[in-house]
Formats: sequence, structure tokens, C-alpha cells
Amino acid sequence: MLKRHIYQFTILFCLLSVLSASAQKRFTVSGTVRDAQTGETLIGATVRIQNATGQSATATNTYGFYSLTNAAGNYTFTITYTGYQQVTQTVNLTADTKLNINLNSGAELAEVVISAADRKNENVRSPQMGLDKLNMKDLDNIPVIFGEKDVLKTIQLLPGVKSGGEGTTGFFVRGGAADQNLILLDEATVYNSSHLLGFFSTFNADAIKDVSLYKGGMPAQYGGRLSSVLDVVMQDGNNKQFGMEGGIGLIASRVKAEGPIVKDRGSFMISARRTYIDLLLQASPDSSVKGNTLNFYDINAKANYRFDDKNTLYVSGYFGRDNIGIKDLFANQWGNTTATIRLNHVFNSRLFSNTSFIFNKYNYSISLLDDDNNANVTSLIRDFNLKEDLQYFSDKHTIRFGFQGTHHRIAPSEITTNGNSSFNPLSIENRYGLEMAAYVSDEWKLTDKFNLLYGLRLSSFSLLGPGTFNTYDADGEVSSAYKYGSGEFVKTYFNLEPRLSLSYSLNEENSLKAAYNRNTQNIHILTNASTSSPTDQYVMSSNNIQPEIADQVAIGYFKNAKDNTFEFSVETYYKWLQNQIEYKNGAQLIANANVESELLYGSGRAYGLEFYTKKTKGRLTGWISYTLSKTERKFSELNNGNYFPARQDRTHDLALVGIYNLSKRWSVSANYIYSTGNAVTYPAGKYNVGGLTTYYYTQRNANRMPHTERLDLSATLKAKETKRFRSSWSFSLYNALNRKNPYAIQFRDKQNDPNRTEAVQISLFGIIPSVTWNFSF
Amino acid sequence: MKTTYIHFLGALILSAIGLTSCEKVIDVDIKDSASQLVIEGTVVDNADMQTIKLSRSVAYTEDNTYPPVSGAQVVVTDSRGFEHNYVERLPGVYISSFKGEPTVTYNMLVKVDGKDYTAKSTMPRPVELDSLSVTEVTFGGEDRKIVAVHYKDPAEFVNQYRFVMWVNGIQTRRVYANNDRLTNGNDVKDELFYSSDDDNKEIVDGDAVEIEMQSIDEPMYKYWVTIADQSQNGPGGGVTPGNPPTNVNNNALGYFSAYVSRRKTITIRETGQ
Repeated sequence: MLKRHIYQFTILFCLLSVLSASAQKRFTVSGTVRDAQTGETLIGATVRIQNATGQSATATNTYGFYSLTNAAGNYTFTITYTGYQQVTQTVNLTADTKLNINLNSGAELAEVVISAADRKNENVRSPQMGLDKLNMKDLDNIPVIFGEKDVLKTIQLLPGVKSGGEGTTGFFVRGGAADQNLILLDEATVYNSSHLLGFFSTFNADAIKDVSLYKGGMPAQYGGRLSSVLDVVMQDGNNKQFGMEGGIGLIASRVKAEGPIVKDRGSFMISARRTYIDLLLQASPDSSVKGNTLNFYDINAKANYRFDDKNTLYVSGYFGRDNIGIKDLFANQWGNTTATIRLNHVFNSRLFSNTSFIFNKYNYSISLLDDDNNANVTSLIRDFNLKEDLQYFSDKHTIRFGFQGTHHRIAPSEITTNGNSSFNPLSIENRYGLEMAAYVSDEWKLTDKFNLLYGLRLSSFSLLGPGTFNTYDADGEVSSAYKYGSGEFVKTYFNLEPRLSLSYSLNEENSLKAAYNRNTQNIHILTNASTSSPTDQYVMSSNNIQPEIADQVAIGYFKNAKDNTFEFSVETYYKWLQNQIEYKNGAQLIANANVESELLYGSGRAYGLEFYTKKTKGRLTGWISYTLSKTERKFSELNNGNYFPARQDRTHDLALVGIYNLSKRWSVSANYIYSTGNAVTYPAGKYNVGGLTTYYYTQRNANRMPHTERLDLSATLKAKETKRFRSSWSFSLYNALNRKNPYAIQFRDKQNDPNRTEAVQISLFGIIPSVTWNFSF
Repeated sequence: MKTTYIHFLGALILSAIGLTSCEKVIDVDIKDSASQLVIEGTVVDNADMQTIKLSRSVAYTEDNTYPPVSGAQVVVTDSRGFEHNYVERLPGVYISSFKGEPTVTYNMLVKVDGKDYTAKSTMPRPVELDSLSVTEVTFGGEDRKIVAVHYKDPAEFVNQYRFVMWVNGIQTRRVYANNDRLTNGNDVKDELFYSSDDDNKEIVDGDAVEIEMQSIDEPMYKYWVTIADQSQNGPGGGVTPGNPPTNVNNNALGYFSAYVSRRKTITIRETGQ
């Protein structure tokens, strides 16, 4: 089946090649766009050739590569990229031309020049919708809790993205669940993107070059999760000169080193950070505190080497660990490991290839250290991944096609013990899965006004032996059990996922867009918490669990005004979700070989309207995002089989972000957020059993927590620069109004009047000041 | 059992980061539900008198006063063929004098307002509560005392337990339920995590802590573990609450449980004991 599709793609590709070759006297200009100071490739820079008879434009890909084809002639060639000076030169296209461009950062120049260097109307013209790109430079200025700039907390300020809860990095996109986000770091899946139970994310902003969030209209090269793709790309490192930077904050410090391996040909980057909350604990005069641990650290590293103009090798990796322990009682560790090896190969000026080999792993261990109660519990999910991605650039088409294969291993739980422990050793069978996909997509400039991005992804998932595979009936009892040998196929699912986005330009500054996409998911998280927890259990699609499927349609209106100073968009979407998973009340999720017997299957729907206005230039920049939405789920066993609001269903979500450059040295910024409370289940009645007030629930999630509202402020002071050394101070106030926002609501008997019941709101963070010192040299 | 660790962990992290989580009583808008029959029936091995209580649930907004249900017909038959008739001793409190026996299955029948409510429960084999011990945990400058129960889990049977804790004679609100899924056949030390979130009182020196260990059947384990899961509010706010799966039919609330009861008391002494 798969082979046949690859064959079809090949035919299609050949056809298109023939078509473009038949056009007479057309030539291609191609190359790579880099930062002139650091040699870092620039992603998404706009490249344009223009003359009296016509023009064509494109954006650089993830590796900074571009390719443009047009009729022979003289052209004005321009390259623009946010925050960089525009490059304009003349190109005489009489043969295929190689043109590598270095852009100068506009940072030191007057602001007028920076604004002139902006990309033009790319957001309006591109057929892609539902895409948000994070400007990493903004991240320095947006206030966050504890002063730790954070990619995941910043994307929660965008329309359609909802926070998992105060201070957490968990997020929900357009009504999806937290496990329906595909989070990629240099193409490697990051299964658990949080540190310290979700108060920090695994992404160290120092090491990150580019962040793209797809909320809908996912291009066909992405797949495997229903709701979003968060594609995070690490920096390559400066290939001109050695440099260091870092920061010292209240609870964590960071340091990064980068430099050339061989000047202009290869570079490396290594970045690390560690919290020191436990160092403070160690310093406590209370001797019994010593021996406790509470920290996390992570390391990002990357190296690249350009063999020649056609071949570049990238090697990158991430390693992070959280450690929590109480002396003589327990120790808990968890973290992700990823490694990516990539080879870029430019076949010719029009065909770009990337081959990736990826390893990623998430594991945790819990050690109970008490002699009578000792146990070591370990669990992991591990993937090996091979991807081949090709991009073919022709006049009006950019064709992208390739295949992906992933081998999964899940070791659900293994318990080992010593001596006279309360616990027995236990090992739950590993599960193996094979995920394959082949895709093709075409971005087609149909006319001057019509742009189309359409594609098809064929995905398959196979559950593999060895092991004993039970099938469960509706009551969760085993109805059949079969043994499979190693590598035998237990169950295979095929899915066709069409993807379509189109844009129609009303004029230069206004466009209408529409998109449809289907996504499927075969790795599912079972979690007790609404956001991620270190002991999240992963299960694969199986003889009991069907692949999750989502269909989304979206339409939108995009407008730029005042020469791109303002970007405005409004998008509306409707999403259908199938084969959603919940677990039964009282389910045993951990160390349970029959965990699939504890699950319920249902459906969902989500719809909403998103407004986004962004000011990109001037002393004041920032954005306003507002989302009006509804998210519901339906399970025949829950809420009498009626639709009920998902926990993250919040009607209104508003975020205001403003950054103001006061002077050359001072900038100030503020965030304000408002959101409707989470949907929660409050008791409708009460009774007494077992000597306790027990609550009676009628409708699921029919109540609302109080709303959340928060103002955060920050100010950055750049210290006087010397030739080599730069530094800055960041001061921030999280929750500046010290508002008590709801985290959870508990019901209990009143203390001084046990005959009455009261509802108690628990809030986590009051006002939190922080200061961070950043340096680079 | 592992999830309790995680919730405990969450509380510790918050306290360590120096976030004194703040509480505030709020007004909530709640739609009241209709009153329902509540049955709480127990058959205990070491008691000569067995009790079944009938009451009605009340709306959330009302006082915690539950109207008793009088005039019901209550009978329990057991798997050995004995029939135990109950009499109403106090309003809504029905009693019968017999002693519960391990391995016997008890069938309850309650007739109220022309409706029959039935449930059954099998009393497990006795498991002895060997001893209690106290562990002191210090983290982030806070001391917590944790009482642990010690018992020998029988290897040849599947066992479920519920623990009830009283501190100085006052029942704590934390619900503990466990089974031998991970501990079958072992000398088990089961730590009953407890924090002031439950009762606004830490366990301190001089306190007398009494523990009842109930050996319960599988449906009752599901019942108690569902309540236990809901009462924990870890990071993320805990699980969506729902009604525990009752073993009584006809939409009654409550349960009917035949269990083996063992009790012990420990007095918390000063650190360094």
C-alpha cells in the first residue's frame, strides 16, 4: 500500500518536472540566506525578483534555502527579513544562478531603517493560515513568572491557545487536549515539555532560533497529533567568531557558548541552565533539610558543518532532567533526551533534500527509599525516526514530498525492589509500534490573487508484537487474549489525511483564506491531571484503542495596514474530534497491564472565533488577541451521554502584550490577560457516608471557576556597552495587581460551623518580583 | 498509591518554591439537585450489632442535616441461607443483631416507598493490623508526621483495604483505599499521607492517632478509591469529580459493605523517638 503511494508521488513529481522544463528560457536563482554577523541561517526570509514584466517571490525554508525561477532577463532582487536590513541588487538571469546572501542585523540602526527592512504582506499573501510565528527577540521583553523567558508561556498569549493553568506550560489549541500538540525540537518529538511539574518549559530560549505554531491547516509534512504543531528550531551557532552569553536569575542561571568549528563552514552551540532552589535548601540552617533535592537542568547542543555548497550536516541534541527527592524517603527523576542528525543536500538549484535520523526518549523513575517500602519504578517511551523530505521549486509550484518512519517502544512500568519491601517486583510488557507516513504537498501560485497549498498524507500505524494482547468488553473484562511473536503485526490502521489551504488576495493588503485539514493520532496520554505530570502514561492505538481523528475547517480574513505596521486577522474554525479517550472513575493508570480496560471512548467538537491585531513597528509594538470559543466532549458513559464542556472550555480569552522602547537603554513592557474560568464540576447535593460529607454530582463540568485576570510588568535596562561586553538587567513583576486567581476550588465543611459547607478558592501566585542579569561577549 | 506520592510531591514543590498558596472562601452559583435516598449499610466481623442507615441527600446550599428515612423494611440474607431482619432503633437507623462472618456474601434488601433497593457484598478473609509507626518528613523547613500501618498481606487472595484515621478522637477527612495489586503476599508498610489541607491540623507530638483497617471487597475498593482520587487537589487541580460507583441499585446513593475491621492507636511522641 505504502509502496504504491510512493510510486504515485514519484510519477506526479516527474510530471511536474517535465511541465516546468518545457517552458522556454527560464532560469533559477537559488542560495542560502544568512545573518552576516553570525552566519546563522535565516528561516522565512522573503526573497523576491521583480522586473517590468513580472515578479516572483518565495520564503527561505528551515535551512535558509530559497529557489526562484523566472524567464531570462534583468531583475531587481530583494531580500527582506524582520529586524534585518533589506538587501537589493540586480540579477541578470541568463543561466541558473547561485546567490548566497548575508543580511546585516538592523539592531544598531535607526528604527526607520528597520521598518523599511520588514517583510511585506507575507502574512496576507501566503495561503497558510492558523500559523503563528514567535519572534524570539520579543521574548526578551515579555514579562514572565520568575523572570524566566519561556516559549510555551509566550504562545499562550496568542489567539486560540489556552493555558493549562496558572504558571504551567501545558497548553490547549483550538479545543484540543494537552496531548494533542506535536512538540518538535529540531524535528525530535518532545513528549513531556515541562519542568518542575509544569512551572517551566523544556525550551531554553537562549538556544532557540525559530518557533512556529500551527493551529490549523497543517502542511502535509507534519502529522501524528490532532490539534497543533509546535515546531521549535535550535540555533546553529555563530560560525564567524566565538561568543558567550548567559544570565543569572533568582532561581535559575543559564550559559551559552557558540563559535566556529571551521570559520564560515561549521559552527557549534551549547547552552545549559540549572535551577538552584535546592542550593537554597542546602543553605538552610535546618540540618534536616539537607539531602533533599529539587532542581532541574537541561542542555541543548548543536553543531553543523558545510562540506560544500550542496551538503551540510547538522547534529543536535537535548538532554534535560528534573530531580525531586526527600532524604531517605523518595527520589523522583524525569526528563527528555533527543538527538537529531540531518543531512541537507541540494540536488540542483530547484531540488532541496533533507534526511533526518532522530532519536527521542522520555523516561521517569520513582524510587521509594524507605527500607520497608523500597521500590524503584521506571517507565519510558522511546522513538527511532527516519525522515526524508524533499522540496522542489518551480515557477508557480513549490512541491514538498517525502516519507517518515517511526519505531516506538513504550515500557509502561517496571518495578524492582530489594530485601523485605512492601512491594513486589513487576514488569509490564513493552509495547512496540511502527508509524509510517508518506506525503506530498504543493504550494501553487495559481494566479496573482489565488494561492493554494494542498496536500495529502497517508499515515499508517501498526502495533507490533511480542506480547499478549487482550481485547476488553464494555465492562472492562477480557473477552479474548492472543499471543504474538516478535515483530508480528497485531493491528494496523491506515488513514488518509487531506490538507488544503487557499488564499485569495483582494488587493495587496487584504486577503481571504480558507483551510481544511484532517489529522490523526496514535500515541495517547492517560493522565490524571489536566496538564502534564511526570508520571503520564502513554498508550498506543491498539486492538482496543482506535486512532484519534480530527477534522478542522477554518476561514479567515487577513489585513495589513499602514505599510505593514499593523497586521490584523480574524479566523473562525470548527473542529470535529473522533475516538477521544477518557478513563473511568477510580482507574488504575500506573503499573497496570490492563490499563486499556479502564478507558472510555467518545467524540468532541470545538469551534471559535479568533481576533489578532499586531503592531510590528515603531517604539510601541505588541499585540491584542481575543478568542471566543466553545469546546465540548461526548461520551456515552458520562453525563448521560450528552455533550459536556471540556475542562479547558473558556468562552473568552483576551491577551494584551505591549513593548515600549523608552530610550536606547530602557524598554518597558506589560501583559494583561483575562479569561473565563475553567469548566468544572461543582456538587449539586450532599449526603453523609463513612462519617464524611460526600458530594453528589449531576452534570459534568456544568459550572465555572471565577475568571482569571492578571497584569505582568517588566523593564529592561541595557548597561553601557563596551566593544566586547554587553549586559542588561531585566526586572519583572508577575501578577502586579496581586490578584488571587483561581487554581482549584475545594468544597469542605466550615471550620467553625461544621453544619455548613463552603467553597474555597485556592490561588497559587500572588505578586512575584524578579530580577535577571544577562550578559554576552 | 503512586498518585498519592505525586500529589504529595506537588504540595512540597509549591511550599519549597516559597509559594504559600492562598485560600479564600468564595460564593458559588449552584443548581440544587433533587433529594435522593442514601443507604449506608455495613456488616462487620467483630460487632454483634449491624447497622443500616437510611437518609436523604440535601441540596448543596442547605445545612449538613440529612433527613432520616423511617418506616422502611430492611432485611439481609446471607449465602448460608440465614435471614436477618432489621428494626428501626432510631429514626433512619436500622439494626439487627448478628455477627458478620468472613467469606460470607450478604444480600441487602431495602423497601422504601414501594421501591426495592438491593446490594450485595462479600466479607473478605481477615487480615490483621500488626502495628502502627510514625515517620517524620522534613522538606522546605516544614515537618510532617506520617503514620504508617503494617500488615501481612495474604498471598493466596486478592485483598483490598480501606483505612480510617482519627486524630484525638476526631475522624480525618482524608479517604484511604488500597489494594494488593503491587504488594501481594508481603509484609506491607502503608503510609497514610495526611496534610493540613484535609483538616487544618497537622499531626503533632502528643496526638493520639487511631487507625481502623477495613478489609473490603473489590466493588467497595472502587467506591472508596473514586472518592479518594477526587479529594486530592494536586497541580492541575485533580480529577474531574464524579459519583462513586455504588453497589446499590435503583439510583440510590451510598453503599453496602461487609468488611473485617481491625483497630490500633499510636501516640505521637517527640522527635528522635
